[in-house]
Amino acid sequence: MSEERQRPEDAPKGIYGPDGEPIFFAEPGVDRMMAVIMNLASELWVERERYLPLDSDRDAEAKAFIDRVFAPLRERKE
Amino acid sequence: MTLELQHAMKATPTADEAARGRFVSGIRSFILNDLAADLGHAYQTRAAPKFRAANGHDPKTSGDAHKALRGDPAFNIYSSMRVQAQKMVWASVSAGVERDAKRLAELEAQTAGQPGSVQLKPDFIPPRNASAVDVHLMPGSYTGGEGMAAGAVYDRGLAVFSMGLMGSNLDDIGLSMAAYIKRRYPEFAPTAMLDTGCTIGHNSLPWKHAYPEAKLTAIDVAAPGLRYGSTRAKLQGVEADFVQMASDELDFPDASFDLVFSSMFLHELPKKVRAKTIAEAYRVLRPGGLMLHMELPPNGQMAPFEAFYLDWDSYYNNEPYYKGYRDEDPKAVCESGGFGADDYFQFVVPSIGIYGDEAVTQAATSDAAHAVGAETTGRLAEGVMWFGFGAWKR
Repeated sequence: MSEERQRPEDAPKGIYGPDGEPIFFAEPGVDRMMAVIMNLASELWVERERYLPLDSDRDAEAKAFIDRVFAPLRERKE
Repeated sequence: MTLELQHAMKATPTADEAARGRFVSGIRSFILNDLAADLGHAYQTRAAPKFRAANGHDPKTSGDAHKALRGDPAFNIYSSMRVQAQKMVWASVSAGVERDAKRLAELEAQTAGQPGSVQLKPDFIPPRNASAVDVHLMPGSYTGGEGMAAGAVYDRGLAVFSMGLMGSNLDDIGLSMAAYIKRRYPEFAPTAMLDTGCTIGHNSLPWKHAYPEAKLTAIDVAAPGLRYGSTRAKLQGVEADFVQMASDELDFPDASFDLVFSSMFLHELPKKVRAKTIAEAYRVLRPGGLMLHMELPPNGQMAPFEAFYLDWDSYYNNEPYYKGYRDEDPKAVCESGGFGADDYFQFVVPSIGIYGDEAVTQAATSDAAHAVGAETTGRLAEGVMWFGFGAWKR
């Protein structure tokens, strides 16, 4: 892909890092760590699904897994 | 929910790939429903009051809401996870597409003689808005790669992305819009239809189902999607001509079509290209013809937070023209293209896949349009509804 980056004309300054990736957290490394956590959770789910019974509701199981693993990120508890 | 496409070019995932796709759909649902609810709450209770204290007034625009939210913990978590989830969408299907390349090529060869066509132009140079940016964070974007791969990645990736909310063949927008128009304007009987930005034709084909006697032409600037889309259409028994062409330079005579439409397309175009696209639609329409675009609702008709919630993609999903499009007044854009002010109309149609056939009929036969400002309009989450606008050519 081209090195030239197309951005919205009114993009606020400082929302992208030197590599062009968006920055959200004050410490940019946290954005990368968030990606690592999500990748790890995905790979863990792949492993878990191998051991599920064939007749299990895998979508429901995946939802329960995600809700459980990422619960600390919720602000409003349900 | 994991979506299994209902056509022969669908993925044939390994167990691990299926599990990975299921996780990505699930995490997107968590972000776009649960974390989105947290984001809305954080905006009301923290970000907007903080903005008011600093500026002496409430956020008035999408841009204000963006400024208000930047730095808020809920915004940081939602945004950081959503960007990564988008990258995981494409990553979850890329290996399967690579493995399936030979089978997809065989399907293309097997269907070569069936009704329908694909016309690619070897000298065609895709515009930079499609080639110089990884639109939707899709690696290589829609114009790159070998053969039909980008079309397959898009189709299979969208199946993961959609969380089951965009129809069994990712055609809910086309099905909903076509059903609305057919019921709202039962006397309208097009004989020639043009989709001006079809990608793989997933929202083009429903119009052929709605008006089977009409000839369907679907154009796009990206060759991989056109090849893939043509084969995909033939395998579903739908006759359509896919042509490599830009929407702002239509290679058709004046008054060639009764219906010129697009789905989720205009917001990917630079302002000047978008304006010329509308003018070209006017030119190639016959008198009595209809231009119709399914799109994101305009910012001017939404509250600041809801407006920015959609505009997020412009800044963080590599869709640089998205907000510029949404800042425009679609009625004024139509008028600039040649359409009469009184010939403009807009509407919100319930997703036919979620709300059912009767809900679309009710929307089409009532003048009490759903409010554009509704939270679910244009937002891919539980309860999605689609915004459309159009104009008749006199």
